[in-house]
Amino acid sequence: MTNLRQQWLHGFLEMCLLSLLVDGPDYGLGLSERLAASGLGDVPGGTLYPSLLRLEKQGLVSVSWQHSTTGPRRKYYELTEQGRRAVRELADSWAHFRSSVDTLTMGVRND
Amino acid sequence: MTDSWTRSLAGHLIDCGVEPAEAQNMAADAAAEAEIAGTAPESLYGPALAYAATLARAARPVDGDPLDRATGRVLLRLDGVSKRYRRRWVLRDVSLTLRGGEVAAVVGANGSGKSTLLSICAGATRATRGVVQRTRRVGFAPQQHGVSAWLTANEHFELFGAVEGMNRSRATTVGTGLARQLGWNPRPRQIADQLSGGTQQKLNVVLSELHRPDLILLDEPYQGFDQESYVDFWDQVYAWRDAGAAVLVVTHLLHDLQRIDHVLELSPVDDA
Amino acid sequence: MRLLIRTVALTSLKELSRRRVALLFVFLLPLAFFVLRIEVHWQALRFLAIGVGWAIATLALFSHVASRRIDSRLAVMGASPSALFLGRQLALVTLGLITAGAYFVVAAVSLDVPRLAAVALLLATTVLIAAPLGALVSMLIPRELEGALALLAIMAMQLLADPASTAARLLPFWSTRELSSYAIEPVGVEVLHSGLLHAAVTLAVAFALAWVVSVLRIRTVKLVEPT
Repeated sequence: MTNLRQQWLHGFLEMCLLSLLVDGPDYGLGLSERLAASGLGDVPGGTLYPSLLRLEKQGLVSVSWQHSTTGPRRKYYELTEQGRRAVRELADSWAHFRSSVDTLTMGVRND
Repeated sequence: MTDSWTRSLAGHLIDCGVEPAEAQNMAADAAAEAEIAGTAPESLYGPALAYAATLARAARPVDGDPLDRATGRVLLRLDGVSKRYRRRWVLRDVSLTLRGGEVAAVVGANGSGKSTLLSICAGATRATRGVVQRTRRVGFAPQQHGVSAWLTANEHFELFGAVEGMNRSRATTVGTGLARQLGWNPRPRQIADQLSGGTQQKLNVVLSELHRPDLILLDEPYQGFDQESYVDFWDQVYAWRDAGAAVLVVTHLLHDLQRIDHVLELSPVDDA
Repeated sequence: MRLLIRTVALTSLKELSRRRVALLFVFLLPLAFFVLRIEVHWQALRFLAIGVGWAIATLALFSHVASRRIDSRLAVMGASPSALFLGRQLALVTLGLITAGAYFVVAAVSLDVPRLAAVALLLATTVLIAAPLGALVSMLIPRELEGALALLAIMAMQLLADPASTAARLLPFWSTRELSSYAIEPVGVEVLHSGLLHAAVTLAVAFALAWVVSVLRIRTVKLVEPT
């Protein structure tokens, strides 16, 4: 069952990361902790960072190195204008998709 | 001060086709993130080789959104093309009009004449009946034997480049750059026979586009590709399309029907 | 076109230089023939020369057979079939002449030959005939093993046939035998002339046939731009 969730997460990871950045820039570790806190579980670094890189290459996020409060420089990711547009579209698509799947599985779930 | 995992990552990234300077930066970034997280890089990312492959793919330049593609002039026209070998009809009445900026897929079971059709489009085989017209600048990647087992990748680039009047340095530069886009860094002394099946096919594909043709014909070029290379290949097909070329791919697997402009389905013709 | 011919020639040489086992046979067989017959000078020279001819023809066969598909692909891209054929032949002739030169030295130091220049001549004409001959066989029998067997048969017949018979004159390396007679035996200049004539005719016929067949084989259908 965890395997299936991993596959699903793979498909939606970029959208989740973009959504987390709507409230403001964050760094890799911070994003990872927030994903885990939201109930999606531990996303391995080997998956998380390539996704962030892909977002950067698509121009949806921009990166900057900043000093954190605890000292070492961290790589911060921030949504670009294009990224904001993209996450809105993605969230809308997700809403449609989700309601369709909800309808289909309504009779089967343990609500 | 870099540890062995980080150096190894940089090396593998270069093998996957990343420019050396960028590879060093990516490896340094990864090491820095691991240090901040307070874990060893290997436990954060996994083995360097596997991570390099994932990272290299993520780093590949992404095309802009292909919004309004203007489809161009007709680059290939087939009209009632039929082919007979001895007493057997292999193809019957095949027609297709392919313009620049379009992708066509030819599908069908084994024995349905797909390779023959491609060969006819290339001009290597003459059709028994029908009209075949195509633009002069064509690239052709047949399924097998399209490369020489005894030559290195660079020597192939030089040979194919010479057909179009490219000198050696230009041909090898262009070829190496195109190989990088498919995630492969050709080794100077490795002959084609020593390449894995998937890499040989990548060489095959690069040779078909080396001279920037208007029409590219490919015959099931991804046998031996792993899943990610397969996806890279189709990214490449769409990149060609967006640049205005016409692409014809013979395949028995379809990636994403919606992005393909023509699907030509061939079925085995019964004996006359 | 010149760039293509030169590139094909250089590339073919590189290809051949990597086929170590084939090269080993090519260079050792004639030497073995020579050494085994060294006592009988006229036979030693003859066997050496025909061995060299066989070796170069076989290399030519391998080279042309292996390149059929890639040549077809290059022709689709617009390469001239003639350029492809000539480039490959240029490589083979070059390799052949180097081999001939090496064996000339071997023959010169180990045999006492009255007309040494004739030895150079006969080795040169042998390789010049061998290159297109191998190409021609490759077009009739486009497989390495079967083609090599055919060449072996030709070589065997060459060695066994009575040179005076009419049938022998139909074999490609008859001139080699004639010229080797001229080199060693005190025969008249008409032997030289008949040998050279046969060599010239054989070379011309083999080359022309091989060229025509290769162009017919690789050429692509003339396709026009779509209207």
